[in-house]
Amino acid sequence: MALLRRALAAVGIAGVIAAVLRLRGSGGTPPQSGGWRELSGPDLR
Amino acid sequence: MRVLVCGAGAVGARAARHLVADAGTDAVLVHDTDRKRQAAVVASLGDRAQAVDEPDPADADLVLLASPAGRQTAVARRAVAAGRHVVSVADSLGAVEDLLDLHAEARERGVVVAVGAGFGPGLSCVLARHAAATLDAVDEVHVAHHGTGGPACARQHHGALRNAGLDWRDHAWRRRPPGSGRELCFFPDPIGGSDCYRAGLPDALLLVPAFPSASRVTARLAATRRDRFTAGLPMLRPPHAEGRIGGLRVEVRGWRGVARDTVVLGAVDRPAVAAGTVAAVTARWVASGRAQATGAAGLATLVEPLPFLQELARAGVRAAVFEGA
Repeated sequence: MALLRRALAAVGIAGVIAAVLRLRGSGGTPPQSGGWRELSGPDLR
Repeated sequence: MRVLVCGAGAVGARAARHLVADAGTDAVLVHDTDRKRQAAVVASLGDRAQAVDEPDPADADLVLLASPAGRQTAVARRAVAAGRHVVSVADSLGAVEDLLDLHAEARERGVVVAVGAGFGPGLSCVLARHAAATLDAVDEVHVAHHGTGGPACARQHHGALRNAGLDWRDHAWRRRPPGSGRELCFFPDPIGGSDCYRAGLPDALLLVPAFPSASRVTARLAATRRDRFTAGLPMLRPPHAEGRIGGLRVEVRGWRGVARDTVVLGAVDRPAVAAGTVAAVTARWVASGRAQATGAAGLATLVEPLPFLQELARAGVRAAVFEGA
């Protein structure tokens, strides 16, 4: 019985950790230079 | 031209408004299962709009489908059987698959079924085609979507986050788990950076036929932690009448001469407004014989991107290019 409780607790803790890691993500790299420019004039000719 | 518009919601009403303002339109027939909304939209469109109780494709030259995705296939099938062109703003994987299945019959009858002719997919396909025109060879296309239009679009966004994504990788289809493949995508301002994930999106289905040399075609959807956490549950509250500003980001990678190059195009707009405009412009193009092929296909296959983007820009839907690294 104690073994079962420990196994269930371990599975529960692992699930919580997995959910936190999945939702949290791990950042990213923003563009280092430049930016967005509207397509106009020469771009659309 | 007589156009039957099925669905008078956030997208359908906008598309009908564009069409009724066009001199080449004789009548816009509007059908919606919500009779109150149907009557209100018809009243706002003026004399050239009529309400119809049952959608009869044979009564029009072209059918524009802006109803919820699940209801579109039956009407599209009847329209093709009657020899009428179809423009659909379907954005769900299942509906797009069903509509593309009409390809053989549509070709046989010489009609066009423009599939996914909205903001995303739709404008996203045109941007991919436009970006590809600046490269000598294309081997990757990656699309990201941000935001939602009307309630049907919000439901589709919610559902897509629990449905497997469909990626084209190494010239083969791969089903990928929803919510995986997190990528921080930068959309045009004011949206900026947003985490995007794999989801049940139809973009690859529409893009792969247009880019036969591409070995990778993927689509991702911007989602918040709450979106992902609640994706497996029914929507906890009714969807909003209309979403806020949304965006598209289309990254096309390939070769220019002997050098690798990447072109990134994007757009920001209220998705329902832009989708209505794209659908109406597509309807005009298809009805006037400007589509580049017959059969069922996405806009990357059906329209010439430059004049299409010019027409969209005149209608207020503008695209942007990312310059930098």
